[in-house]
Amino acid sequence: MPHVRLSRIVRVFAWTGLTSVGGGRYAFLYDAVVVRRRWVRTEEFVQDLTICQLLPGSTFGNLAVALGTRLGGGRGAFWGAVALILPGALILLGLAALYLRRGFAPTVVHAMHGMAAAVVGLVFATTMTIAPASLRGGRALLIAAAMFVLVGPLRVHTALAILLVAPVSLWLYRPQPPAP
Amino acid sequence: MIADLARLTWTFLWLSLICVGGGLAVVPEMQRQAVERFHWMTAREFLDGYTLSQLTPGPGMLVVVFVGYRAHGLAGALLAGTAMFLPTSALTALIARHWATLRHRPWAMAIEQALQPIGLGLMAAGVYTLARAGIHDAPSAGIATLAGLVLWTQRVPAMVVVLAAGAIGWLMAL
Repeated sequence: MPHVRLSRIVRVFAWTGLTSVGGGRYAFLYDAVVVRRRWVRTEEFVQDLTICQLLPGSTFGNLAVALGTRLGGGRGAFWGAVALILPGALILLGLAALYLRRGFAPTVVHAMHGMAAAVVGLVFATTMTIAPASLRGGRALLIAAAMFVLVGPLRVHTALAILLVAPVSLWLYRPQPPAP
Repeated sequence: MIADLARLTWTFLWLSLICVGGGLAVVPEMQRQAVERFHWMTAREFLDGYTLSQLTPGPGMLVVVFVGYRAHGLAGALLAGTAMFLPTSALTALIARHWATLRHRPWAMAIEQALQPIGLGLMAAGVYTLARAGIHDAPSAGIATLAGLVLWTQRVPAMVVVLAAGAIGWLMAL
């Protein structure tokens, strides 16, 4: 396991956090730690990414923790995540204060409405990009469709929907006993 | 005041715990809590905040900082951010150390497979919820469709498409 100096982890993760926008942000971390620096192998990265998508919370934040653990143990995880999250949080806080205190000029609001419409397109495209890998077979389609209808149009509480659907999904994907 | 902050912290804590399959999954519920249940903000403000969070660097879930700030100022922003990121990060750190040995067990693999379509269904519901707030007339529907098609089929940086849509919105006074 590579052990990277803590100051380097912080510097690289902070820069990655500051230069990542839009959907699929984990791609920026892949570029930083796999392609450009070879600190982590591709299959290790994919393993971490899968776990981070399954665990609750922000995938990008979780990924900083998982990769930080690989690179620098507990301290790497903590300071890596802080370096990735904090700069963006401060920038957003400044913009939030500006937006909520004086509002934005009408021209800015028009631009933001245009950008908001594009973000709807962006999340649609991100979903469609991930769908083929996650939706193999009829049972996956069934589970995904059930979740969509419950939480989207029917407006069922998300936690309740997960509690209803997860046992069914687990049963559908239960480990098969080895053939005799 | 203390009770309000405790309620806000608790809300983001359980939102972080049901946020499976990426941040988009929890957007419908966060909007419901922030707008309809606690009246921290309007639906328009929520969408603007979500858009801002997508345009600023760092995790998309930083939208909680915006919501927390709108609800209870700096303390709200700090508590919302901590509640969203700290417990799930601690859980990830714990599992990252042990998953390598667990992930080949049959039940671990079943859990991996069973959670994937759930995460995807939640993402699709997130698209639905954002579309209801962000698409209100023909031009915004056109921009959303065009942006979605371009990003789905071409390798264009998302930022470029979103900024171009902003320019169109500005020119059309959307």
